Amino acid sequence: MENENYIIEMLNITKEFPGIVANDNITLRLKKGEIHALLGENGAGKSTLMSVLFGLYQPEKGEIRKNGEVVKINNPNDANDLGIGMVHQHFRLVEVFTVLENIILGVEPTKNGFLNMDEARKKVVELSERYGLKVDPDALIEDISVGMQQRVEILKMLYRDNEILIFDEPTAVLTPQEIHELLQIMKGLANEGKSILFISHKLNEIMEVADRCTVLRKGKCMGTVDIKDTTKEELSRMMVGREVSLKVDKKESQPGEVVLSIRNMTVPSKIHKNNAVRDVSFDVRRGEIVCIAGIDGNGQTELVQALTGLEKMLTGSINICGKDISKASVRERSIAGISHIPEDRQKYGLVLDYTLEENLVLQRYWQPQFQNKGFIKFDEVRKYALRLIDKFDIRSGQGPVTIVRSMSGGNQQKAIIAREMDKDHELLVAVQPTRGLDVGAIEYIHKMLIEGRDSGKAVLLVSLELDEVLNVSDRILVMYEGEIVGELDPNKTTDEELGLYMSGAKRDDVKEIYNAG
Amino acid sequence: MDTFYYLVQNMLPVSIPLLLVALGGMFTERSGVINIGLEGTMLSGAFAGALFAYAIQGSGLSPNMILLICMIVAAVAGAIFSQLLSFAAVTMKANQVIVGTAMNMMMPALILLISKMTFNSDGVTTSVRYFIRKVPVLGDIPVIGDMFFKNTYLTVLIGFLILIISTIVLYKTKFGLRLRACGEHPHAADSVGINVNRMRYIGVTISGILGGIGGYFYSVGITDGNINGHNGVAGFGFLALAVMIFGQWQPIKIMFAALFFAFLRTLAYSVPLIPFLDNLNIPTDYYKMMPYVATIIVLALTSKNSRAPKAEGIPFDKSQR
Amino acid sequence: MQDKNGMNSKNEKKKITEIKGFSSFTSALMAIVIGLLFGFIVMLLANPSNAVAGFRYVLLGGLSRFGDVLYFATPILMTGLSVAFAFKMGLFNIGASGQYTMGMFFALYVAFMFDLPPSIHWIIAILAGMLGGMIWGFIPGIFKSLLNVNEVITSIMTNYIGMYLVDMLIRSNSAMYIPSMTRTQYVPQHVQIRSLGIAGSNVNFGIVFALIIAVLLYIILQKTTFGYELKATGYNKHAAQYAGMNGKRNIILTMVIAGALSGLGGAFAILAPSEIAGSSMTYEPINVIAANGFNGIAVALLGNSHPIGVIFSAIFISYIQRGGTLASLVGYKPEIIDLVIAVIIYFSAFAAIMSSAIRRIFANRRNKEALITEPQIENIEEDVGSEIENLEKNSNKEAE
Repeated sequence: MENENYIIEMLNITKEFPGIVANDNITLRLKKGEIHALLGENGAGKSTLMSVLFGLYQPEKGEIRKNGEVVKINNPNDANDLGIGMVHQHFRLVEVFTVLENIILGVEPTKNGFLNMDEARKKVVELSERYGLKVDPDALIEDISVGMQQRVEILKMLYRDNEILIFDEPTAVLTPQEIHELLQIMKGLANEGKSILFISHKLNEIMEVADRCTVLRKGKCMGTVDIKDTTKEELSRMMVGREVSLKVDKKESQPGEVVLSIRNMTVPSKIHKNNAVRDVSFDVRRGEIVCIAGIDGNGQTELVQALTGLEKMLTGSINICGKDISKASVRERSIAGISHIPEDRQKYGLVLDYTLEENLVLQRYWQPQFQNKGFIKFDEVRKYALRLIDKFDIRSGQGPVTIVRSMSGGNQQKAIIAREMDKDHELLVAVQPTRGLDVGAIEYIHKMLIEGRDSGKAVLLVSLELDEVLNVSDRILVMYEGEIVGELDPNKTTDEELGLYMSGAKRDDVKEIYNAG
Repeated sequence: MDTFYYLVQNMLPVSIPLLLVALGGMFTERSGVINIGLEGTMLSGAFAGALFAYAIQGSGLSPNMILLICMIVAAVAGAIFSQLLSFAAVTMKANQVIVGTAMNMMMPALILLISKMTFNSDGVTTSVRYFIRKVPVLGDIPVIGDMFFKNTYLTVLIGFLILIISTIVLYKTKFGLRLRACGEHPHAADSVGINVNRMRYIGVTISGILGGIGGYFYSVGITDGNINGHNGVAGFGFLALAVMIFGQWQPIKIMFAALFFAFLRTLAYSVPLIPFLDNLNIPTDYYKMMPYVATIIVLALTSKNSRAPKAEGIPFDKSQR
Repeated sequence: MQDKNGMNSKNEKKKITEIKGFSSFTSALMAIVIGLLFGFIVMLLANPSNAVAGFRYVLLGGLSRFGDVLYFATPILMTGLSVAFAFKMGLFNIGASGQYTMGMFFALYVAFMFDLPPSIHWIIAILAGMLGGMIWGFIPGIFKSLLNVNEVITSIMTNYIGMYLVDMLIRSNSAMYIPSMTRTQYVPQHVQIRSLGIAGSNVNFGIVFALIIAVLLYIILQKTTFGYELKATGYNKHAAQYAGMNGKRNIILTMVIAGALSGLGGAFAILAPSEIAGSSMTYEPINVIAANGFNGIAVALLGNSHPIGVIFSAIFISYIQRGGTLASLVGYKPEIIDLVIAVIIYFSAFAAIMSSAIRRIFANRRNKEALITEPQIENIEEDVGSEIENLEKNSNKEAE
């Protein structure tokens, strides 16, 4: 029968949470030796489905079969015993352990009760040679590159002789070149007989590597298609449910005078001995969106923290509209005109246990409008909050008194955007403002950024998403190992060229332009 | 030279409780749980051990035999008592610092209560003489013999034995590797099939065992086999935490830290015997404060490059993948 | 329907079980019930025949001595406020004990060594106590703020240092100390806090001051920008920093205020008149850490760190302590109450979790369809869309 082809079948899986059906009658069948893509937006139910496969959740309906036989997966150990392994989007690696220790963790070979590292090393070296996964077994995880960390994760699965390999958004942290390399590795693994489930929302990668693709939307299965019979446009329509123009609508930018001017900024690293930001200089003008592109961890976070005053610079200067704020506090910089949509909205951007109205005045509670001799004017706060909620369409259960923790991610982000855009500002710093949001929210945020630009603000966008970088920005600065290595025009550059800069393979001397002036 | 031998001989029995309890603390924190309740755990062991010694002191067993038996009793008591922490911190995901504080308050009250009811006093007084004047043969070795095998207690030997075992367990076994993973990155451990909560229970239990033994050894080496509810173990449980931090959660460094703190304390109580210090005429109370002051200074100095297990104090929540 | 004006919530009939204050009240109640039950079991084990009588003293004995209840509630109300205030900022002030001891010493020192007009002498003594506490709160504060040293361990150390220091200073001061009785002299009558004049009790203006301070703290926390900053920092110190709040200053300020509160507690305690006419409370320098500092932790936890809640929990703890003292009439040791308090602290650490679990069980019974198993409970309030954020949040927590 047909079943014989399938190594894993998830049949009619339904998983409900109170108030929401996360997976609604979803069927996914993985053939032996194929690369099967699972496509869907953030929140479409991919994570839930994988959690079911790993026994983290028990579905209300449906069954899982392996090689045609029904299996019961109660916890990750069961999944592991069935030969299912996963590379998580955020690696599950112990940073202070060596590569070898991480690979054997949980399945440690022992001799007389003691760890047998020699045997482990032999097997790891053998695997890494066989599959072309270069790693240094004795290096500490915290010292190796993200790409190598990912290879360690893959080796973890191979060391356990897993035959079903799941890759959860594996390319998010890689350069285009590294992505290419990873896709080759995946193909190699499939040729060796491994079956691969590739979770992604990036259509190009799916088109390049997958054999078949199952699409989820809002918890429902939109069908499974053969990649050779489909197009990017069709997949995109299946995923979002409507035509999506990936191009952002915007006028040509009209850069005005310089708003932000950074010269020779150097910021120490908290993790490494090397400086995180090294001698960086650039300007941002009124009416333009400047995007800092680069792979995560190349100094973007530190650059923004030093700019907004959360971290101290070692050397260098920052000017806002001609005013030197190099030594100013966070508050003073905020007054000088910086608005900041932070990278981690829950860690920095919001006090989750405060109400929505309390969060909306987080940057302004001290202004005379909202306080009198140290006493907060609660009625003013309420009025202000209601205005912002209305203007920015922030949805929540109980309006201004909703505890922010209970709001959805998209609306939490809207609250931050409302607060930062409504505050008097000259420069908007937005760090990964669309991370983890669905297409609707992403479009909204892009629209807001462009509106900000068109109203004469300067916008500094930090993004890891190449599409965002190319579509939204008016000018691209590429950061690599703490330095700005290239300044590009989004209309004239390509993915490939960006990738070369991002991986350090290509660099221009950008500093000269600014230091001369 | 005699003063030197005197200091070493007195320092070692003081260092052992600190060493053992700090090692216990290391095992819990390496598994990801903060154990502020070590003071209470020590007291539980000290009291159970002393109580048992009181019960069997007339049986004709040799003091060192009594010590070994009571050590086991103390270990069991500490292990049981520490379950208060593991249940609250691991199963109930409670605030670990508050739970530890409650444990520290519980034990003195319990000791006072039991002692007042049974002995009509504030604690247990035993008459076992654990003191070893000189170990045969080994005590005759020049210098080494004077330092380690004269005027000492069996606790010193056991303490160093436990240190060696702890080091091996932590670094050379499957268990040690898994325990450390749980304290650093519990989700990584969980994803490879390690039962994080179980490991944390074990980590806490080990600290209970070592804390209990450490407490009993405190009563043996420092208060002549007695223990009372008012003075308790004089903050040794807290000092042990400082020793653990100073020792950077590593067994060998912890040993040196324990010796350092024990030295400070021994010095404080030996001022009249050291002519130089005696002549300074500083009240001895100042010296008594020294270990505590030193703790603050040491913590301030090490705070910048302190590498605590990353996940310590954070309850493990499986659903937060 | 979207609730856009936010006023609907007032009109809605809100079930009492859903109100935040109520749930912290039920969890406090649960911790108390378990603690008392534990005390009763200990009594049963110790002496079954008198257990009921003894337990009745614990529960009801305080009623007959309500003046005393308030008298002894005063210091723990202050240390409770101290711990609670620091809790709001996310700091655990386990050093209340040392600050309290310092407060006692400073107050005593002014009482004995200063020659001041009787009308203001007692006020200066109280303020001195406050100053002593402030200094002792400042130390962990500054270490935390400038060097990021965990305040828990530094404040435990300052407890011991303070205790040894005060013991030494008192023993070496012949004007204060009576060596034969190992205690201090009685505080001169004009320095003692004025009695409220309630017959058969020494309850004095200390409790009045303490209540006023509690209300003041409530206003500071709820109505002012400082309170707003403080709570924001306690909930999320990163967001507070992001919003430009001065975290370092606020940490020091909070610890100094917490120290001041404990110091005042010490002053109120040591300057209080005692039963025998002309006598007062005394300090015994016997190298024992002040228990009232730790009882303050219980008070703060039971009061859910809310200043008004703390008033009630302080009176409650004092109430059962009086009852425990009376239980000695039927042969029980008052340490039972210390044990009960420790048990209460223990359970209040997770009472909130327990009570919400119990409420869920009831809720589940009401609608039987709910099929929710243990590991999913955390996820219930989250919609699936925010799963990814949880993931990120968590990895960030780990990356710290």
